[in-house]
Amino acid sequence: MKGMCDMELNKVDKKVEDIKNNDNIYSVGKVIKVNPYTVIVSGLNDITYYEEVNVADKAKGFVFAVGKNNITISLVEVNEKINPGDEVYSLKKQFKCLFSMDSMGKVIDIFGNDLIAGKKFDNLVEVPVENDPIPIMDRGLVTREFLTGITGIDMLYPIGRGQRQLIIGDKKTGKTQIALDAIVNQKDKNMVCIYVALGKTKKEVKDIYYELTKRGAASYTIIIASFNDELPNRTYLTPYASLSIAESMMLDSYDVLVVIDDLKKHADVYRQISLASKKTPGRDAYPSDIFYAHSKLLEKGCQHKDGGSITILPIVETKASDITDYISTNIISICDGQLVLSSKNFAKGEKPALNYGLSVSRLGGNVQSPEMKKIGSLVRSKLLEYLEVRDIYELANIDEMSIELQNRMKEGKVILDKLGQYKFSPKSKEEMIELYKFLEVGDTDANR
Amino acid sequence: MQIGKIITINDISVEIILSNTDLKIGNILEVEGNSKYVFEVVEINNISAICVSLYSTRGLQKGSVVVKKSDELEVEYSDKILGRVFDSYGNVIDGLPFESEKRVKVSNNTVSLKSVKVDNEPLWTGIKVIDFFAPLEKGFKMGLLGGAGVGKTVLIKELIHNIYASSNSNAIFVGAGERSREGKELYEDMKSSNLLDKMAMVYGQMGDNPVSRSKSVATGLRMAEYLRDEKKQDVLIFIDNIYRFIQAKAEIATDLKELLIENGYPSNMASEISQIEERINSNENGSITSFQAIYIPADDLTDDAVQTTMSYMDGQIVLDRKISELGLYPAINVFKSTSKLVDAEKIGERHYNLVERVLASLTRYEELEEIIAVLGIEELSEEDKNIFHRSRKLRNYFSQPMFVAESFTNIKGEFVDIKDVLNDVENILDGKYDDVDESKFRYIGKIS
Repeated sequence: MKGMCDMELNKVDKKVEDIKNNDNIYSVGKVIKVNPYTVIVSGLNDITYYEEVNVADKAKGFVFAVGKNNITISLVEVNEKINPGDEVYSLKKQFKCLFSMDSMGKVIDIFGNDLIAGKKFDNLVEVPVENDPIPIMDRGLVTREFLTGITGIDMLYPIGRGQRQLIIGDKKTGKTQIALDAIVNQKDKNMVCIYVALGKTKKEVKDIYYELTKRGAASYTIIIASFNDELPNRTYLTPYASLSIAESMMLDSYDVLVVIDDLKKHADVYRQISLASKKTPGRDAYPSDIFYAHSKLLEKGCQHKDGGSITILPIVETKASDITDYISTNIISICDGQLVLSSKNFAKGEKPALNYGLSVSRLGGNVQSPEMKKIGSLVRSKLLEYLEVRDIYELANIDEMSIELQNRMKEGKVILDKLGQYKFSPKSKEEMIELYKFLEVGDTDANR
Repeated sequence: MQIGKIITINDISVEIILSNTDLKIGNILEVEGNSKYVFEVVEINNISAICVSLYSTRGLQKGSVVVKKSDELEVEYSDKILGRVFDSYGNVIDGLPFESEKRVKVSNNTVSLKSVKVDNEPLWTGIKVIDFFAPLEKGFKMGLLGGAGVGKTVLIKELIHNIYASSNSNAIFVGAGERSREGKELYEDMKSSNLLDKMAMVYGQMGDNPVSRSKSVATGLRMAEYLRDEKKQDVLIFIDNIYRFIQAKAEIATDLKELLIENGYPSNMASEISQIEERINSNENGSITSFQAIYIPADDLTDDAVQTTMSYMDGQIVLDRKISELGLYPAINVFKSTSKLVDAEKIGERHYNLVERVLASLTRYEELEEIIAVLGIEELSEEDKNIFHRSRKLRNYFSQPMFVAESFTNIKGEFVDIKDVLNDVENILDGKYDDVDESKFRYIGKIS
């Protein structure tokens, strides 16, 4: 009898101790169903939406849906198998990510881990997974240049600080390379770079880490990674948390570059989560809000009125050079332009393998210096005309063309050849302008 | 007045257990003591009400007490709207002081058959390809269709520049689910060119939740109705983008667990669109001319939402990726662009015949392109060679320097009179310019 009493007392003591250890434990529920990335929990009647919860010290997650009699928890961390009946504690705080200012030059995740060192950072701050949209009136005009060092981009399809410029193309066409070139070219330009790797293999991420470190970009670059063997919810949340980190830096007047590699994987992960939670699928089985999932993310890219900016280079992988599939067109319609890479050009040896006809920058000359704008628009219109004429007259005998046409064809070929550029060999604006000086001289000759 | 308590929470919707049944669909509720959480009632049954949330539901607590805020969403119904920027819910967001004069409910009936007005005077846009192939008149509904990144928004801005700037009409600009950057740019543009004070803007942009994106159109329409019915004006309304309205409705329907039709659209899509489109009409008080950008998801022109919206349009301008790839802007597909005015009785024999001749010539050109790809140009008959060269000149001629695209082209925009267009087209077709190089026709106004 006495023993029984002791046991009861022990239980009470344990509960008291539990509450002491987790001094912010608010209420307790019970797991009633376990799904692959979610658990259904009963109880927790005063829970808030997106609150952080702890499942029996085995797993962590947040409230994804609040139902009449139960709640759905999305899991972001599972250390041990969860069973029905496990206790669920609500932590009475919103689910947040962790970030350390010591992350520069490191590979990190959104929960405060240094992945190369394999341990947590010491001085962590909480970062909201997602903030409210940036109001229209808090935005400034995008006018400051962002240079990648690649002639075909800086001159023809320029990017400004605060712009969202999509990099799109098939596998192995040099998408990530363009982003890395852009990061390396930010040295001494007062830019914080964040490379977000989504669903990449560990090997790929380590390669990128070495590449950036070797080229001296580590001092201003953070790599935020979510690998392809992680819980889908982590991969889903990583870009939002990364943009929240970037947003807080922007509000501190930093210029930030965020590369997201890649959003097609993100869309697929979101589809996986949505279908698992029985949301009705829409086009191509993606959920109806797949556009919003990406628009709210990429709308964080802006020139803030107080000086800071977030430039975003999202990457999307296509199949068979088709940029008109659902996800690609969604993202194209959100971004301020796209750099289209062509596997055909890549195979022909044109590096960067840009498809100059399909690439667009909606900001155009607004973000270029006057000289770059002047020569850039001239080069672009001559190049596009050449590419079009070249296709049509492919079979024509060049000797029988009018002299005017022959000259244009020759000139076009020179223009195209001069755009060729090997990886990690950035050019300055002056060098780019020098390349095309001959056009202006030629022009005045013709006018005489 | 206390209405009830929150019992379920999702991303967009909440359910409220009612303690007070004095509630109507459309009522606006808020959480007691926290104006961050505002809801609109969409469904009521005996004991509970389903609501959509106007803002994010993150951090909302289960069991929160909900009170009634107002009967319905309201919008300013006075001259005070001019020169101002509103959100989808009728709140001023430009940060300047605002004093309301009169507010009315957003919802309104469509125009009756008795009062709808159909005959109107022509309206020239100064854009060659539109005035020639798809001319319009006051009170028209013009759909601007295009996939992602082919130039819908630039065209809308050019139309604002050409039509609104040169008229005395007031205008409403509705931003629905488009880029916030462009919203801010348009505001700054209008302000710097002193055009803002005749215009009101409503924004529910792509970073906002779907409820906001779906409401901006109706809010903007109510303002247009004020200008038409109270000020007896001919009003212009620019909607960018009407597709985003139905896209947002699809997201809401998914969250409410409604049954969806193919590609994830709501089953009541047709009536949702008709409720909006039938309001955009002219009556005895004045006319409403509307330009509605229509996004084409996945470049799929047969998309249900696109087709349903198009059936309300008096004319359509279709933008084509293949033409933008050639560097010819505005990238309008002339075979698919047309209007009800293309009728010998309305635009006159000459214009009508020219349209027919140009289309015939361009159709033959497309066939010839295929032949040339195999045989080369030399093998064509003399007549076909003429058609080939003249068509290329025509195609180039229909590109045009636009005022708002000066930063891309570095060429000043031009407004071209329809009389000049007809003369130029006739001359090209008749071979008057056979010895002029085709590149001379790119990006010009009229032939000088």
